[in-house]
Amino acid sequence: MKRRSFSVALTALVTVATVQAAELPEAIKQAGELRLTVNSTYAPMEYRDPTTNELVGLDIDLAKEIAKRLGVKIVWSETPFAELIPSLQTKRADFIISGISDRSSRRETADFVDYLSTGPQFLVLAENAVHSVGDVCGRKVGTTRSTSFPVEIDKWSKQNCEAAGKPAVEYVPGENSIDVRNQLKQGRIDAAVQGSETLPYAEQQEAGKYRVVGEPFSTGYQGIMFRKDDVALREVVTQLLAAMIADGSYKAILDKYGLGANAVRQPLMNAATQ
Amino acid sequence: MRAEPTLATGFPDISGMTVARQAHWRRWLAAAAIVVVLAAIGRAFAGGQIEWSYVGRFLNAKVILDGIVNTMVMAVLAMALGIVLGVVVAIMRLSPNPVLRSVAAGYTWLFRGTPLILQLLLWFNLALVFPTIGIPGLWSGRAVDLMTPFLSALLGLGINQGAYTSEVMRAGMLSVDPGQYEAAQAIGMGRLRALRRIILPQAMRVVIPPLGNEFIGMVKATSLASVIQYPEVLHNAENIYYANSRVIELLIVAGFWYLLVVSVLTPLQMLLERRFARGSQQIAR
Repeated sequence: MKRRSFSVALTALVTVATVQAAELPEAIKQAGELRLTVNSTYAPMEYRDPTTNELVGLDIDLAKEIAKRLGVKIVWSETPFAELIPSLQTKRADFIISGISDRSSRRETADFVDYLSTGPQFLVLAENAVHSVGDVCGRKVGTTRSTSFPVEIDKWSKQNCEAAGKPAVEYVPGENSIDVRNQLKQGRIDAAVQGSETLPYAEQQEAGKYRVVGEPFSTGYQGIMFRKDDVALREVVTQLLAAMIADGSYKAILDKYGLGANAVRQPLMNAATQ
Repeated sequence: MRAEPTLATGFPDISGMTVARQAHWRRWLAAAAIVVVLAAIGRAFAGGQIEWSYVGRFLNAKVILDGIVNTMVMAVLAMALGIVLGVVVAIMRLSPNPVLRSVAAGYTWLFRGTPLILQLLLWFNLALVFPTIGIPGLWSGRAVDLMTPFLSALLGLGINQGAYTSEVMRAGMLSVDPGQYEAAQAIGMGRLRALRRIILPQAMRVVIPPLGNEFIGMVKATSLASVIQYPEVLHNAENIYYANSRVIELLIVAGFWYLLVVSVLTPLQMLLERRFARGSQQIAR
């Protein structure tokens, strides 16, 4: 039943897409290029290939496919994670596709078109004594301080540790995903929290080093960020994404990075609940 | 030779005249142009995408004040470590002993030759090389428990500073006339005693201005310790804008505090210079 209503919705969406194809904003059409800004420290979403130094990753592939279908080329620029939103505001970037979670606090300045389901997940060293999420209470947990994860860890700790009378998680800030895993290896932290979309890649890089504990402890989405007044561009990209989901090219890109399970059934707008 | 008569008759008497003030209209024009440009920049800041209420709200927020205290604590301690190391290394560098000279030169080469941020990251991640640290038989512990962000930052900043300060100190010691060494030796002083009582006090006068310069540099270099999670003012400002996305607003807050600290330090350096210039009259006024 659910499946059927979904396909009806999808058909409707595709119909809308073909009936009134949204127009690419004139400035982008004239320039023939999309200006996109990423923070390339987040493998496998966006990172620099160690051998070629090319920008690669799931987001990069999705953006390239979108640009191809729009008939424009992409001019990439890079910035620290926290500067992504300012890059959008100052119009350095036309939109942001850079492993950024859709969160209500970020919607003050932008709209999200959600394209990947994700959630923070606990990661420990393979030989660690932590075996279930309950064991995490009272331990040192590290994560990237510029992300939304510190807040989510705090929330999780209140609900699952403190409410059950267990000691709270001790949050230890880290600079980026690699730094956090580095602190894990040194024993500065007992567990790391990273986005579920990064874990297959980490496992592939250092096979047998890490172990995932439990499921992602909250579910959310990664989204493409658009300026609130940039409705036309948002519509164009949303329709293209829907088409890519329908024709399987979206799934092919996700599978390439082992993230087929994180697929969404259709692009969603501002859909994350937190 | 006899001088010519200075005032021959026939020249007009100008003793009652005053010197006319020059108009300096170009100066006025330049000043006006600068004021206009500054006003335009100020207006752009006032009307830009900056929510000034956030600047006001966080300017004296506790987490920012804690940050600036941590910045100053780290700057003072790292500079102190740097000066101690710098003096020792400069003395070693000028020693007749070739082993001491080589060690000093090697230290300066290594720590001046690699970027500060790289050294900070190495200290912070030292546990990858030495999982446990200790004194055999006395005490040992996990390197990560010892190498806290505070100690990693102190060692990284202080040891790096020592390499630079040693050159400042060496310059100061070289500025003292060699005759002073000889005179000290002539009255039976050993090398170290002569350094302590004769050479270093005179060198201080020369090294204070560059050391003041280095200290102001150190206040700002502590911001690099943000990447190893030392909670100095930039680190704390970043944490706030990671949560509320008010990037420029919080950078303005941090910038304000750095400027304030440096503005206070500059006159302090002048006081210190006067103190050490007591014996040298032309500067002591």
